[in-house]
Amino acid sequence: MLQEFQDRFYLNFIADDRWKYLVNGLKTTLTVTFFAVLIGIVLGFIVAIVRSTCEKTGKLRLLNAVCKVYLTVIRGTPVVVQLLIIYFVIFGSVKIDKTLVAILAFGLNSGAYVAEIIRGGIMSIEGGQLEAGRSLGLGYGQTMIYVILPQVFKNVLPALGNEFIVLLKETSVAGYIALEDLTKGGDIIRSRTYDAFMPLIAVALIYLAMVLVFSKLLSILERRLRNNERR
Amino acid sequence: MNEDNVLIRVNNLQKSFGGLDVLRGITTEIKKGEVVAIIGPSGCGKSTFLRSLNLLEVPTGGQILFEGVDITDKKVDLDKMRQKIGMVFQQFNLFPHMTIKKNIMLAPVKLKLMSAEEASRRADELLERIGLPDKADQYPSMLSGGQKQRVAIARALAMNPDVMLFDEPTSALDPEMVGEVLDIMRELAKTGMTMIVVTHEMGFAREVATRVMFIDEGTIKEENTPKEFFANPQNPRLRDFLSKVLV
Repeated sequence: MLQEFQDRFYLNFIADDRWKYLVNGLKTTLTVTFFAVLIGIVLGFIVAIVRSTCEKTGKLRLLNAVCKVYLTVIRGTPVVVQLLIIYFVIFGSVKIDKTLVAILAFGLNSGAYVAEIIRGGIMSIEGGQLEAGRSLGLGYGQTMIYVILPQVFKNVLPALGNEFIVLLKETSVAGYIALEDLTKGGDIIRSRTYDAFMPLIAVALIYLAMVLVFSKLLSILERRLRNNERR
Repeated sequence: MNEDNVLIRVNNLQKSFGGLDVLRGITTEIKKGEVVAIIGPSGCGKSTFLRSLNLLEVPTGGQILFEGVDITDKKVDLDKMRQKIGMVFQQFNLFPHMTIKKNIMLAPVKLKLMSAEEASRRADELLERIGLPDKADQYPSMLSGGQKQRVAIARALAMNPDVMLFDEPTSALDPEMVGEVLDIMRELAKTGMTMIVVTHEMGFAREVATRVMFIDEGTIKEENTPKEFFANPQNPRLRDFLSKVLV
């Protein structure tokens, strides 16, 4: 039993340096997730601010309409389809790095969800906060930056963290454009060794470990931010 | 700057929400150093009137001249005007993510009216004045309602405003905390600050105000010195109102 396990472990991970599929795949997965998260945050913040500024002041109508279309399209179609369209349709005739395509696709996708999370956060702040800032002579932008958004960030952190966990796992469909991410790496091993159990369980465990570490970091950050206001 | 020390002149101010006329033509003037108490039944438009004075409510008609400038004009730099109009809210509206001192320093520093050191000194001064120097580094959630409202007053004062608007400053307080806030306001009145106070505290209106204004159905029904106002009310609705609140 133990001997059999050792043999399978050797076959799947050690022989022909197959562990490299997992390590390189992990690198790709982390790269894609990291940059997609950045794009998602920036895009999400911009869209959320445009949307709530339009709601509160009636300005930026055109931009708001653009944002609405973006949200509808992204949230209304599967991420795999978006990934395929960006790779095969939009960049179909150009030679482009697949990692870049994945970053772009997942970033665009995440931005839509982040936008709604942040917009919800902005709406949850009492109107009195904006009024207090404005009554002191601060402009709308200044009040947003110094008064509203810091509170929003604190409130939406759990939801944002969750979104990024989802994003990390969602990048596992990058194999659809033959990007060798972690999932694809495990799958390649499976196709070489005809052993499904070892590589796929290994892949699952690596995702699980990453999510656990990330959740832990997030709860530390949350606690640190909350500490300030505790009675 | 303008005749008779008039700080704010309001001409036929109107405001409607949807089809509801809340303000139906208010005309009055506020002179420098006046303490005007505004009273009236709930829903009469007194808060709306006060909030119009710094354009938190945008009027649907009429003018507001602040220091001679028509602030209802869209071309006016409203943020600049608001720097001179302090406001204190019923719900305090302190910034919960900042310490008390940061709350007070935020606007003067971000608007580049003071350096951080100056603002810090000014904040210490104000905290001393409201009797809360030991709360500088605490967060609003650690303070009682009365303390929060005192900080809110200090925050508005940090901008060195020419007038202070109070929107029912004691209405959200537990009864035992009303006094400490009114004391601060009384002190402030003594320094010659122009104040406009929407309030239900008849005692405060009687003692501290230089003029009391009764707003009902979106218009000023009566205004007078506190003595005359309470001793000799003319308008029947005011008489009715006073008979209900002065029990």
